[in-house]
Amino acid sequence: MSKVLHPIEHKIIKTLKETPNISHDELAKNAQLTIDQVRRGVEWLKYKNLVEVHESEVSFASLGENGKETAEKGLPERRLVNYLAKHKVCTFEGARIAVLEDEFNAAISNARQNGWIEITKGQTSNIITLKDNITNSPEEELLSILTNKIPVSEIKNKSAFESLTKRPNFILLDSIKTTVINLTQQGLDTPIPLTESHSTDAILVRAIDVEAPAPEVFAARSHPLQDVINEVREIFVSLGFAEISGNLTQSSFWNFDALFTPQDHPAREMQDTFYIKDTSASKIATPNQIAKVSESHKKGWHYNWKLEEAKRMVLRTHTTCVTIRHLADNNPDEARIFSVGRVFRNEKVSYKHLVEFNQVEGVVVGKNVTLRDLMGLQREFYYKMGLKKVKFWPTFFPYTEPSLQSMVYNEKLDKWVELFGMGIFRPEVTMPLGIRNPVLAWGGGIERIAMLKFALDDVRELYNNNLGWLRSVAKCP
Amino acid sequence: MPVVTLYFNRLQKLLGKKTSQEKIISTLPFIGLDIEEQTKDHISVEYSPNRPDYSTDYGIVSSLQGLLGIKTGMPKLKIKKGKYSIKVDPSVRKVRPFITSIVAKNGKLDNETIRQIIAMQEDLHNGIGRRRKKASIGIHDLDKIKFPLIYTTVNRGHKFIPLASSSEMSISEILQKTDVGAKYGNILGTSQKIPIILDSIGNTISFPPIINSNLTTVSKTTQNLLVEITAVDKNAAEDALSVVANTLQDAGFSIFSTKISGANNSTPSLNSRRMVLEVDLVNKILGLNLSTSTIIASLRKSRLDAISKGNKIICTIPRYRTDIFGTMDLVEEVALGYGIQNLEPTIPQSVSIGQKNKITKALDSMSTIMVGLGYFEVLNFGLLSKEVQYDLTKRDSSKMIFVDDSKSQGHTILRDSMLPGLIDTLSRNIHETYPQKLFETGVVFSKVSNEIREEIHLACVCAYNDVSFSEVKSILQSVFKTGFGLQCITQMTSTLMFSEGRTANIIMNNKTVGVIGEISPDVINNFKLRIPVAGFEVKLTGLIFD
Repeated sequence: MSKVLHPIEHKIIKTLKETPNISHDELAKNAQLTIDQVRRGVEWLKYKNLVEVHESEVSFASLGENGKETAEKGLPERRLVNYLAKHKVCTFEGARIAVLEDEFNAAISNARQNGWIEITKGQTSNIITLKDNITNSPEEELLSILTNKIPVSEIKNKSAFESLTKRPNFILLDSIKTTVINLTQQGLDTPIPLTESHSTDAILVRAIDVEAPAPEVFAARSHPLQDVINEVREIFVSLGFAEISGNLTQSSFWNFDALFTPQDHPAREMQDTFYIKDTSASKIATPNQIAKVSESHKKGWHYNWKLEEAKRMVLRTHTTCVTIRHLADNNPDEARIFSVGRVFRNEKVSYKHLVEFNQVEGVVVGKNVTLRDLMGLQREFYYKMGLKKVKFWPTFFPYTEPSLQSMVYNEKLDKWVELFGMGIFRPEVTMPLGIRNPVLAWGGGIERIAMLKFALDDVRELYNNNLGWLRSVAKCP
Repeated sequence: MPVVTLYFNRLQKLLGKKTSQEKIISTLPFIGLDIEEQTKDHISVEYSPNRPDYSTDYGIVSSLQGLLGIKTGMPKLKIKKGKYSIKVDPSVRKVRPFITSIVAKNGKLDNETIRQIIAMQEDLHNGIGRRRKKASIGIHDLDKIKFPLIYTTVNRGHKFIPLASSSEMSISEILQKTDVGAKYGNILGTSQKIPIILDSIGNTISFPPIINSNLTTVSKTTQNLLVEITAVDKNAAEDALSVVANTLQDAGFSIFSTKISGANNSTPSLNSRRMVLEVDLVNKILGLNLSTSTIIASLRKSRLDAISKGNKIICTIPRYRTDIFGTMDLVEEVALGYGIQNLEPTIPQSVSIGQKNKITKALDSMSTIMVGLGYFEVLNFGLLSKEVQYDLTKRDSSKMIFVDDSKSQGHTILRDSMLPGLIDTLSRNIHETYPQKLFETGVVFSKVSNEIREEIHLACVCAYNDVSFSEVKSILQSVFKTGFGLQCITQMTSTLMFSEGRTANIIMNNKTVGVIGEISPDVINNFKLRIPVAGFEVKLTGLIFD
């Protein structure tokens, strides 16, 4: 616990050392602090175990309506004897006028009890004899005390108090909760600086509680998924790859036909692919490209290829359409290119599927590139992502042959996870587009990598834009 | 992708050599199967639709035998000449022009074999058959049939007892009242001519592509089978038939031919093919230096036949391997037979210099500046709901771009602006501390005549009690001045999304490039936000990159 005390705390301790057992109000008055400062300071000190706060309930007595009136006018017995002394009256009948009728009996009785009068039997009526040396009765003394509210416990003459309490509306009783603040032993032992520093130094640095929590601020940042995309980009660039980009909306020609996906292939159905209503591509490719691709389909798949079908606009289902178009239009003999961006699938959104996600794809063109090179590039890429164990399994993609999928070992999950797919573009894809050398290609979803990195098990969390998460997730977990 | 369930006890029996369960499990991925689920007695694997022969355990066992070295080379399909025939009536030409068939005799069916065969039939229907549209398969009890058969057409009033029914139904009734009728009836369209297979005494055998007749139901006691496949594509029909024929042969049946004639139909041969493979090509693509004999051994492990001829290899490919188009497919077969795990990765030599493209660089800078100004980046979808994009934001929906048949209600239109998505993001964060400052960069879409145009935008919103037009204008000025040395002007405008008198067009380089303003209280209400919001959106394409 920090031993650095705030000036308010010092003032409170100092005041309590002088006057222990006082309330917040008294403390505020004595320490010359506002009530708020006192409340806050006492809380801090309580937390640091330097003060104790005791709460107790105390009964108070004060005068009621009749009590106040009587305190001014005097008790009936006092008014009686005053009258007697003034008017030298000595009969009951003569004395009755001195007080109210219903007070008379009590006045006589109390005056006698107080030893102020003596009563003897006369011939026709009783005779009152006023005594000398009439002193104040205990009730009278109590009445004068009670003009101020006092705790019941401070009243010494209990019988006088009882007598007054019996009289209607004489005494008001109420209880008040009080807090009393006191120093603990630790508090008593805490040294107080003799004076608040009135140093002549120009700059004055006061120690503060450096261990106390500070208010939270949120550093603005790029989206965690964007960070992963950027990281993937950096790795490709560091491996000598140049970035290419293309539209999210594509003709079916580049998304499917150019990749040797037959026009009746299930992947082209609306169940899987988003077609855009009331749109059509006017110029999809060069006449030569269209003719060659159409020929390749007729030869490989034995069906009647339709241009209209190739013109239908889709939201691209992979980034490969961008890659293949770049290769077809530029026809490089050697190249290292990559592309990253959104792709779309007509799926029901769930914890593992989104309709829209990011894909990255890398391509190497070269006269002598091999399947083993493709595996090596893959291993290098994962190594840079911090994934050290990689293995390869055969798989199938419509536009690559041979095709492999990579499995990487995830240390956190302690299991093998399927990541990027890869392969060498089929001759049925490259030949019609005039691409002469082998094309190594690989790619996959980036969300999967982000989920591993941020330990998410629901892919939707990446697009919820939950500010609580964005403000708290570590940039470099 | 289709899934097959494999029982270990059956696999071990079919493999023909004692093989441990662990060995089987660890080999499955290397013939291209993904393990989906594993229990004590079975394993479920997913296969690629290009390998329809993997639709039963028989086909999978054949590949496992190869890779494990139990049996190598091409499994031979022996078709004996049968005395069965099907005649085709020319009337089928316009509805479903092709039929092909074989007969399988003297087999023994148990429950698991029947289950495997039915699963194969379904997978073939969905794959090669394109949900029965292109080809569909009927498997019948041969002994209930009087040959020759005729494949012809009838009208919709034709009646017979369909499979799993006890009473006669007309074609129309079958199409309306049965599940398969409702599901596949649309394949026949409105055609009055309905394809049908009748036997020599007029019994209905099958109503393709919908349902078989009850007469020829296959059960555990069935010993002899007729397989018929009708199709709109002859090649597809024979592809499917070759898979069925090989599977039934593996299941212990003897295969006999069915003579088919009439209306351009013919008896299927199901012959193997030959292909020439160059040793150099294999080594060039795989990056290896394999000898001819190693390549031949590898091909044989992939269940193909191969012999050497000089520097070339003559390869024989069974009919059911419809996935093999050309020599590159054979290279893959070599790789698989050789073992993918035996390929050591290498790094190719290259002197190329990597770089990001211009758009990425500009957007990276944009992001750095927005973050520096205290704005959080968020990511929304380009495909979102009409409600958010137009209704709640009171925006003009006359040029809305829809996608067809979206499976998700929240993703039906392409965004033409990013502010609605950002306001929606604010509405989902009302329990979080304010101020909330968000930005996004991304693609928005517009339609010009019939073509889609794509542009990249920057948008941001700021929400808290004291937000004002001038605060976001300060941000706007700062972003473009610091980032790109651009001055911007704002000119009063009016739209429903913003408060009247608190919104302006953004002008840079003498072009209107965006809009800025305080979001109208109505829109804020629509999103159940209880806090003022201001923001702007700027078209970056054509401004800071092309």
